[in-house]
Amino acid sequence: MSRKTERLVNLTIALLATKRYITKSEIFRTVDGYEGTAESKERMFERDKDDLRNLGIEIEVGSFDPLFEDEAGYRIKPDRYQFQLGEVTSQEISLLSLAAEAWRGAALDGSALTALRKLHAIGIESDIESIPDLAPHANIRDKNLQIAIGAITSRQKITFKYLSEELTEQDRKIAPYAVTSRYGHWYLYGMDLEKLGIRSFRIDRISGDISPEGKTGSFEVENNFDLASLSSNVDEVRKAVIYLRAGRAIALRSRSVSSSTQSDVAGWDKVELSFRDTERFIEELLWYGDDAIVISPKDVRDEIVKRLELGVKRYG
Amino acid sequence: MAKQATSPIAKTARLLDLVPFISTHQGIAIKDLAKEFAVSTEELLDDLNTLWMCGLPGYTPLELIDLSFESGYVSIRNAEILQKVRLLTKEELVVIAIGLDFLKESLSKDREDLLLAIGSLQGKIKSLIGDIAQVTPTVDSSHRAIILRALKERRNLEIEYHSLIRDQITTRAITPLELGEDRGVEVLLAYCNSAKGFRTFRLDNVKKAELLDSSEVISNSKKDSEELFRAKCRVDARLRTTFERFRLETDLATAATLSSRKGITVEVTSFSQDWLVRNFMSTLANTEITEPAELAKTVGAKAQATLELYKNPHFSS
Repeated sequence: MSRKTERLVNLTIALLATKRYITKSEIFRTVDGYEGTAESKERMFERDKDDLRNLGIEIEVGSFDPLFEDEAGYRIKPDRYQFQLGEVTSQEISLLSLAAEAWRGAALDGSALTALRKLHAIGIESDIESIPDLAPHANIRDKNLQIAIGAITSRQKITFKYLSEELTEQDRKIAPYAVTSRYGHWYLYGMDLEKLGIRSFRIDRISGDISPEGKTGSFEVENNFDLASLSSNVDEVRKAVIYLRAGRAIALRSRSVSSSTQSDVAGWDKVELSFRDTERFIEELLWYGDDAIVISPKDVRDEIVKRLELGVKRYG
Repeated sequence: MAKQATSPIAKTARLLDLVPFISTHQGIAIKDLAKEFAVSTEELLDDLNTLWMCGLPGYTPLELIDLSFESGYVSIRNAEILQKVRLLTKEELVVIAIGLDFLKESLSKDREDLLLAIGSLQGKIKSLIGDIAQVTPTVDSSHRAIILRALKERRNLEIEYHSLIRDQITTRAITPLELGEDRGVEVLLAYCNSAKGFRTFRLDNVKKAELLDSSEVISNSKKDSEELFRAKCRVDARLRTTFERFRLETDLATAATLSSRKGITVEVTSFSQDWLVRNFMSTLANTEITEPAELAKTVGAKAQATLELYKNPHFSS
């Protein structure tokens, strides 16, 4: 049995039950567990308030009596304590639970477990039959994802070492805004406090642990930050026309934006597709070797020819 | 279950969650309750004993929470104040929001009811925590569910699989063995009846999955010994991207080799020579194969064949 736990639960009950603010001295007098000198009770109470806040329990501070300049009073508003998604149907419970299940064995499974417990505690039977058989899975164990999300939700700045293209570690300091996952990689977005602009970082390229810095609530997200447009618009979109050998280069083919793949060369299809990162696109085309021939843009075609000539010279 | 010390804070959180849970599950067996809260029976009994000492100021039997659990089943009375389910913390909301993203992508368009329900839940969550997470899953959750079921029921599967190395989509009958992870990608280890050997399938490349009725146990006798191909090369530029591409540990690049500015010589390996050839084609500008000579020759021939097509008037711009 833990005296500390007991005191925290009793404090929560007392602050939840009261309709008016109760003062510190009332708390010390009536809530079980506050013992010792005035000073040590004071310290105990301050720590308890922080601990409850860390559990997401908001303690409201107010004036005990507005007519007098009295000592501060405390209470927990029931509607700031209880489940905040309102009335939920059994189908919604199933969806929420299934969503949390995605984190089993992954980073953040601690939060997933506590969320599941709360959902189950609502006491509505989940209606799993109404949902097709789905088994989502967040395939990431990187501890840094959890640190990043913790910092995002508490608005705490962070520092970390980031691996550059030259494989050197660079120190970064950012105000973290959001996380995304695309093509199987997880990214962290934030305001780079040295470069003064929004930057994205691939979480697996962060070397070592992310360290939170300074106080929580120490920044505001820029008003014009828009996750939806950022994550899909990093570079300018360009169009390419490519010949693909019939039946080959399946992944490229599936990205085609043209309605017809008809071409004037027998055994070859002609597709049009868009790309953003030119260097990556060139490497991707070269992966398919003589199954993919790019016609335009010219700079991409010229660069590929140049690299092929280098390869022939070097290995031929 | 391994006994782990819980911090008073974590224990407090658990007690606050136990009250509403027991209230809606009156008479629940102690062992079921322990399982739900992922603690040992002893720890749970300790929790219940602590809870018993809690209540409203005054702490007479009238004010204390009343629990009965001697019979092995738990019920609770006099706990109205804590009966409400606690709010979800911000981190819990993020976890759920991302999970809902995963679900949404795997639902077929004709389940409009579910898509609407997910949309409305996501809207509620967004209004509480803002727009701080967005996920596009690469694995179809419905395929994954079928794979899990096959593993559990020990049944065979028919999958449509896109091999990026072979650049083809094939249909294979497989006996699934276990799920694993390979550098951030979830993979299925299976015996492939089509290839007659053990194969690893990336879940994000499974295009279709269907349960088969057969559950025949496949003989392990034909365990094929796959050949590992090795090559040495020098990496001159785009180090990070190239290391990731060849699945090299970045700590291979020591400060000394980095400062020499002559590139880094590394050994790369794969079970597929084709994979090596394609990757060396992709990185023609950043890598130079030093050995084996045959591999260099193969890449050279591939480059030559590709270059010839670029010179072919059919493909001129």
